[in-house]
Amino acid sequence: MPTHREDGTNTAKGRWRLRLARLAIKIVLSVMISCVLVTSGRADGHSPVFSFSTATLGKGDASFETAMMWREGAVMFGPRVVYGVRPNLQLSFASPFHVTHGEHPTGRFTAMMPGVPEAEVLAGWRFYHATPGIGTRNEATLYFGGSATTQKLPRSDSPPLKREPAVYAALAAGRVARSYDIWAGVGYQRYGEWETGISDHQSNTLLSSLAVGWRPPFLNKGYPKPDLRLFWETTGEEVGLARLQRTPGGITPGHGHDAQSAVARPFLSTIIPPPFSGTSILRNSGGTAVFSGPSLLCTYKNFAFQGGILFSLFDQPNGYQPRENVRAALGFSYYILGRRK
Amino acid sequence: MNLRFSLRIPILVLTGFLMAAEPLHAEYLKIQLRVYGLDCGLCARGVAASVERLDGVKTVDVNIKTGLLEIELAPGNTFKMARLRKVIRENGFRSMEATVTAIGAFNASAKFEVTGSGEAYDVAQGPDKDRAPVQLTFKIQ
Repeated sequence: MPTHREDGTNTAKGRWRLRLARLAIKIVLSVMISCVLVTSGRADGHSPVFSFSTATLGKGDASFETAMMWREGAVMFGPRVVYGVRPNLQLSFASPFHVTHGEHPTGRFTAMMPGVPEAEVLAGWRFYHATPGIGTRNEATLYFGGSATTQKLPRSDSPPLKREPAVYAALAAGRVARSYDIWAGVGYQRYGEWETGISDHQSNTLLSSLAVGWRPPFLNKGYPKPDLRLFWETTGEEVGLARLQRTPGGITPGHGHDAQSAVARPFLSTIIPPPFSGTSILRNSGGTAVFSGPSLLCTYKNFAFQGGILFSLFDQPNGYQPRENVRAALGFSYYILGRRK
Repeated sequence: MNLRFSLRIPILVLTGFLMAAEPLHAEYLKIQLRVYGLDCGLCARGVAASVERLDGVKTVDVNIKTGLLEIELAPGNTFKMARLRKVIRENGFRSMEATVTAIGAFNASAKFEVTGSGEAYDVAQGPDKDRAPVQLTFKIQ
């Protein structure tokens, strides 16, 4: 039975073949995308889940990492790729995005993962590295990089803020040993202006962390058996107020937001000063929080699995933003090791 | 003494002779290298994967508790200790003392030169001024 008519159109059989071909392409693409997502795991290498740690990849090594991250009312998916340029220099690219969005203070979700949908490139320079003994390292790493927001996040008190670039600098230091680890770090993310004339401004974030790791003796089995470590992590964050550019009449350029819809929003009154030409500070943004909780890291062969849950010790979001009681993350990483140029 | 027993002696002697007369073309045979800084399974995996790619490496075993990297090498290799130490460094760790079993000969400056590698060591033991290839196990820093 022919698949084409003389005028070039498909017969019924031809249409079925076309549909099957399209379906096959979709399946193949879906499988490929799934493979990329599954193998591009983010779990912050072989270190704490939420906290700062030092760069650890060897020269030519790479890791593909992914993590699902939960905040109350919001779910993020964070893929990240890391490459070891030299033993003391690594580059990373992360691009988390929201699956569901909540109106929490933005901040950073983990030390190495933005808290808002952004494409972030980071360079980690391990400027101090000492190996005083078997299984022991003292290290310090300086991180520096930039990011650009990739998704406009809906806000109930204003139109979404414009996409903006940011710079991020952080310092991490720690000591690792066979039986225990300790890491501390501090980082600051500052947003700038992306589009000339629009001075929307995302919240700047100051983040600090302290993590203590412990490998119980009964888990201290050695290579090549699975390696399991337990951490207790504490993070503190200070998220600044966001700003919104306003024009006379409450219209914000480029947002498609008019005064009528602004009136309909009950929380608009929390923006001060009231709509006029200039910049308004969004009082329903930013806040201060301290979280603490356990996490776990298991490495086996070229894989790492991580998970952690943090509980709020102190949470003071500005304005009407919801408080958070719990944050959680679950990650998976795949490492390409031993490759050299 | 029966015939079967009398045959055993020459067979054993011949076997010993053949083993002794095995061509000495292998250079480094076995290395036990102490590595500082290895703290987890993934670090060990990275080092093992890198070392496995070096020429002549037959097996690699990493003991994180003792920090010992044990390498067995295939005959006829062109393995170099300097390359091994570089790989360890590139992984972010520090190579320390090593116990090496290798075939080589003492050169004019009384250093033990591992055949074909161009690497020579001050070795306390061994026959001085004997230029014949010998297999030695020695420690290096």
